[in-house]
Amino acid sequence: MADVQRIDLLDPAEVARLGGIEIVAQGVVEGFLSGIHRSPFRGFSVEFTEHRAYQPGDELRYLDWKILARADRLFVKQFEQETNLRAMILVDASRSMAWRGAPNRLTKRAYADRLAAALALILLRQRDATGLITFDEAVREVVPARVKAGQWARLVRGLMDTPDGRGTAAQSALVRLTSLLARRGLVVLVSDLLFERELALTALRYLRHRGHQVIVLHLMDPAEAELSGPPEVRYRDPESAASVVVRPRELAQVYQATVRREVDAWRTACRRHGIAYHHILTDMPFGMALRLLA
Amino acid sequence: MTFLHPVALVGLVAAAIPALLHLLERRVPPEAEFPPLRYLSEAERQSARRLKLRHLLLLILRTAVIVLIVLAAARPLFPTQASGGSLHEPTALAVILDNSASSGLVVDGRPVLDRLKAVARGSLARAAASDRLWLVLADGVARAGTPDALVATVDSAGVSARRLDLTAAVRAAARLVDAEPLPAREVHVVSDLQRTALGPGRAGVPRGVRVLALAPPSQAPANRGVGAVRITDAAATVGIVGTPVEGGGAASVTLRIRGREVGHALVAPGSTATITLPPLGAGWWVGEAVLDADELRADDRRLLVWRVAPPARVAAPSSTGGGPFVAAALAVLEEGKRVRPGNEIAIGDRPEAGTLVSIVIPPAGPALIGQANRALAARGGRLRFASEGTPGPIAGPALPAIAGLQVARRYRIEPVAGGGGPGMRSDSSVLATVNGEPWLVRDGSILLLGSRLDTAWTALPAAPAFVPFVDALVNRLARGEAPVTEVEGSPGVEFRTRGADTIGAIVSGLDPRESDLTPASPALVHDVLGADVLDEAAFVAARFAGAGRRDGSGLLLMVALLIALAELGVATRTR
Repeated sequence: MADVQRIDLLDPAEVARLGGIEIVAQGVVEGFLSGIHRSPFRGFSVEFTEHRAYQPGDELRYLDWKILARADRLFVKQFEQETNLRAMILVDASRSMAWRGAPNRLTKRAYADRLAAALALILLRQRDATGLITFDEAVREVVPARVKAGQWARLVRGLMDTPDGRGTAAQSALVRLTSLLARRGLVVLVSDLLFERELALTALRYLRHRGHQVIVLHLMDPAEAELSGPPEVRYRDPESAASVVVRPRELAQVYQATVRREVDAWRTACRRHGIAYHHILTDMPFGMALRLLA
Repeated sequence: MTFLHPVALVGLVAAAIPALLHLLERRVPPEAEFPPLRYLSEAERQSARRLKLRHLLLLILRTAVIVLIVLAAARPLFPTQASGGSLHEPTALAVILDNSASSGLVVDGRPVLDRLKAVARGSLARAAASDRLWLVLADGVARAGTPDALVATVDSAGVSARRLDLTAAVRAAARLVDAEPLPAREVHVVSDLQRTALGPGRAGVPRGVRVLALAPPSQAPANRGVGAVRITDAAATVGIVGTPVEGGGAASVTLRIRGREVGHALVAPGSTATITLPPLGAGWWVGEAVLDADELRADDRRLLVWRVAPPARVAAPSSTGGGPFVAAALAVLEEGKRVRPGNEIAIGDRPEAGTLVSIVIPPAGPALIGQANRALAARGGRLRFASEGTPGPIAGPALPAIAGLQVARRYRIEPVAGGGGPGMRSDSSVLATVNGEPWLVRDGSILLLGSRLDTAWTALPAAPAFVPFVDALVNRLARGEAPVTEVEGSPGVEFRTRGADTIGAIVSGLDPRESDLTPASPALVHDVLGADVLDEAAFVAARFAGAGRRDGSGLLLMVALLIALAELGVATRTR
């Protein structure tokens, strides 16, 4: 029952009403960390150091099964950070991100800002250099990855200073990002991915090729996943002049299948290139979204 | 397929409602932003064909539902081969039930009329309120009525003594039903279809009128009947009629007078027998010719009436100006003992005193007409010879033998001035006419002829009928006696009287043609009556436009319901 009261597991829209990005992110992170007790992020930045005896509460995944098999004793493996992680959070600020399917939900952009802030706070707390890039048709804000004090505040300011964009030409922005990310590290892309998949994947593959660990957080409003609405409606793309007249009830099933297929295509393509992919609906509690990254 | 309420078909315009609604629904839809338009376009592209088909299917289903409901409201009638089909299109129907004397034939212990009545009853009972019905019996009268009333008439109908001329009956019935503005018109001929029942000519059935005839039994039943009976001098000639049957033996015919058998004879059908009469006193006599009983009893007996009278006493014509032809005829009759010399009847150009009856012919010269008229007036005559009339043929039911013979010269016979006006008086009787004007008139004790009995005046003296004419003139007409008339009807005799005198008789009996039970062939029936000859089962199946009709509205509503359910399924399944 205590978990239910954790702020990271509350409805994102309700959490957003608690205050600005900083307050929300801090609350989310506090709740999140109290839940898992330790940093969820590991990678090539942590190295194995020694064994110690298992204590109740230790995660079973760190049990050394070989010792258990040979000596019938419980030991857990311990790691230590070798180097600081350089993490760069890329937030899509295009026009489509400013959309929400219902008034009581956050826009995708608002959700992305809070999620990015929380993620940055976690990274900074474990002494990882964290930076931020916002983009739409072009790169809007760049906060270089640092670990010094005040970095999180700069990141949050960078998010708040980035207005909603007009369009999405992500591939060109991503190409430019590759030049900004000289040192290899962690790249987290937070976007609704409403652009050409192949072109975007080309840029992401390039990052992957450069040695970055790439995580894609695919944001989607629940209303984008399941079609509903009046009997007949003209839907207009906020980023272009395109529009189409549909009867949502007739198309709902096919549309849902199309979305599912698109998500699967992204997931498959990302997996093929060693890119972590997570599909996140904007009504998902922030803690749940962060847990996907653990 | 026909409709009971075709006006309801106007509602078929409502079938356009789904299409109109579809068009009217094409209003400007509300607009909304939707970022993942690329997914939407892809989904629409994938399902465009399916959606078009679905819309088309829904349009068809909805239109079909409306069409079916409208058709059901119009009460469609579907033909069915089952005889139980309860409905049919409105029909003008005339049922001809031939209950003539021949329908009294007993076959297998059951009168033919019973079978005919059952079939006629079936036709009438299947009629609906929208039908127009007539029933024609042997009397030829077309009775209009409701099915119940006409069925009751059929039930009460018995064997009639009258002969039905089927050709005339079908002709009249076909015209009757043809005049009705109904979709179907039928004539049902329920008869034993005697060949002799087909009258002259063809029925001439109008196009659009169906005539169905019940097939008679395939085998002609044997029958004999008494045909014409004639009394000649002291003998009776009896004709035997009936169905010609190969190897049919002679029939025994008995002649009875006032209930007493006076003679027998064996006679084959189609021939005559002569039975000698016993000496009979003067007066009117009633007899009957009787055959042995067979399956048709009505024609086994025929009544006959004749009068026995002494020969007329006729004064010599040479003394009265009757002319040589009259004198010759009287000589023949005297030789045959039909007349005797005397002063009872005189034939001449003026009335003779001292005779009971004067037969007056015009004088030879016009100058003598006045003298003749004065003599007539002096005798109390109320008729006179007037101006000469136009030539023409003789006509008169009392003297059928001379009908048609030409008259070249004649005087008009008119009432004397002040004698009661231009027409004949009530006690005067016109026995023959020429061109519609009196030519032979009886007026009290005087008979007036408009022409002299001479070949210069008329062809009558040169005709074979002249002697019988003179015989009738002196022995019958001069005595005021009317001929014995035979009429069709139940066997019976009716005497005609004038004052205390019996002057004639009417004998009723069956038409001899009723005795010949030979059925007409289907080809002949079809040719004459335009009818399809059908056995009883086929007749039942074919009547009322060939098949029963069933109301298909229930079926249509059921189909409409199923289609509506299908529409509901299609409409909701894809939502």
